[in-house]
Amino acid sequence: MASFIEPIQLKQSLGDDGILFVRNESILDTMVKTSLLVASMIIVAALLPIQSSFSSPRDLDLIIYPDGSTHISTEIDIDPFLTDYELNLFGSTIDNLVVVGDNEFLLDTSIMDDSVLIQTFGSSSISIDYDIHDLVSKQGRLWTFSLDSPSTFTLLLPKNSAIVGMINLPINMEIINDQNQLTLSPGKTEIDYLFSNTISNSLSDTKIETNYFPYAIISGVLLIILIGSVIIIRTKQKNHKSIEHNQITKKNTTLDLETIFKLKSDLREDDKELVKFIFNNGGEALESELRKKFLQPRTTMWRAVKRLEREGVIEIEKKDLQNLVKLRKSMEGEE
Amino acid sequence: MKKLAVFAIIVLIFGTISPSLVDGAYAQNDPSILLRIAVQADKQIVNELDGVYGDQIPNNLQILYDKGHGAVYSLDESLPNDIEKAKQDFLLAMNSFMQISRIISQSSEKVVAVTVSDTTSRTLSNELDRLVKYVKSLETISKKYDVDTESDFIKIYDLIQELRKQDNEVNVGIKKIKIILDYIKNDIRESALEQRSDFIKRFFDRSLNQVDEQLTKAQDNGVDQTQIDKGHELILEIRELLSKNQINDAKVIFVELKGLMENIGYSIRIT
Repeated sequence: MASFIEPIQLKQSLGDDGILFVRNESILDTMVKTSLLVASMIIVAALLPIQSSFSSPRDLDLIIYPDGSTHISTEIDIDPFLTDYELNLFGSTIDNLVVVGDNEFLLDTSIMDDSVLIQTFGSSSISIDYDIHDLVSKQGRLWTFSLDSPSTFTLLLPKNSAIVGMINLPINMEIINDQNQLTLSPGKTEIDYLFSNTISNSLSDTKIETNYFPYAIISGVLLIILIGSVIIIRTKQKNHKSIEHNQITKKNTTLDLETIFKLKSDLREDDKELVKFIFNNGGEALESELRKKFLQPRTTMWRAVKRLEREGVIEIEKKDLQNLVKLRKSMEGEE
Repeated sequence: MKKLAVFAIIVLIFGTISPSLVDGAYAQNDPSILLRIAVQADKQIVNELDGVYGDQIPNNLQILYDKGHGAVYSLDESLPNDIEKAKQDFLLAMNSFMQISRIISQSSEKVVAVTVSDTTSRTLSNELDRLVKYVKSLETISKKYDVDTESDFIKIYDLIQELRKQDNEVNVGIKKIKIILDYIKNDIRESALEQRSDFIKRFFDRSLNQVDEQLTKAQDNGVDQTQIDKGHELILEIRELLSKNQINDAKVIFVELKGLMENIGYSIRIT
């Protein structure tokens, strides 16, 4: 009985204990359609920022007035397909609420305790301004600002206020009209501050430091660019002058074109062009420069140079592993 | 092609992950800010301690101050090389100063804790400053929509000037201004609605079509027929109001329709 190897694909069935091993080197290609994967990744990447940006404040700026009331300005990207949007306010004592949608369209609002229902009607972005009286408390002379912010925010403290305690790290601090403006991270923030006249001096000191630092960097960079430019220009001028000088010197030392062509009247026209170029280049040129100028292959140019050397028009010197072609200072037949 | 696809996948994965990396990476742009704040706080606390206790600073406060001051010194040493240590020093210093200032404010005589939401604690000039900000934002919007409110705003600014000079009956004056502002807001809304009526009508149209479909589904699902009929009535009413350009009235009915839809378990969201 002849035995043969039956291709596994042709087996009708496997026994109960049979285990099928399929060797497939392109399993990834078979199972994962690369184009589909890329397309889905693009969609995910495109949707993620949109999903995360909806309903999260794009900008959140707070200004604390000396009496502890706080003005809040915020801009929020919202789903333009919603009829209304409920926003949690940072407290329940709200004043002077203005909500505008796209094109500064004044939107209808209704405040419910510590939230506001905004009739957005297709707006994709809303800007909200209101005053709130719940964020700052006072005990004795000490004022305490507390907020649990959903996003990074700026906080402008009142004039002549000095921070005497805080529970988190600020991202940045600037001085705006003699007022400290902090940029703070999302999450819980608690800042204690006092009013003091003595602090104003140290504030102005800080102001000087704060304001001049970026200017100093910019000035430094500009200065470096300026110095660099001057150096480059001077170097170029120097090079140019030295080339001119060399040319003048060399012009004096080499024969003029008319004499060369008179002495070597049987030179080929293309060789004469080469001589003209070398002459105008101060009497010398690298072979590679000639190739670039006349767009000739290496061997063609090498033959031309050798021809001119045989004619006694040029001499070849080695310079940095390259052939430097120089016009001869004197030629046979010269009087 | 395969290499290109792999490259695209890597770029996309990085692009997806990178925002979280950036979030985690941002920190102090200029770490010296921490030192400036801490030094400022240190000076202020010294002033407070001198002012309240003179030479007889209680032991617990002295210990806290030494801890805070030491942290400021360490913060100065840590910068600019050891940022992580600087952050810890900053938090330690500010926490110590916070405790000191709170102990001082609690131990002061006749201390009254005030929540700023208590209207009596607000100052008139701040109240008026905030009002001016509010008035200005409305003025900007009103100019944008060419609402004839110039005389009203002149009147409001005059009233604010008068209020700044007087001490009594200020609240009455502020209420008067706010009533005028409410009228102005209505005028702005009317004007804006007229100018954006086409946009709003289109929005309503899409919403109402969707509600119509949802009502049909609700009917198929056996929702109370009276609710379905009421929904259809409201849709007709809104369409009629829109045809007459009565957008504000349409909005009121739309809110009612939205409530009805929510009652029967459907929410309005245009798809």
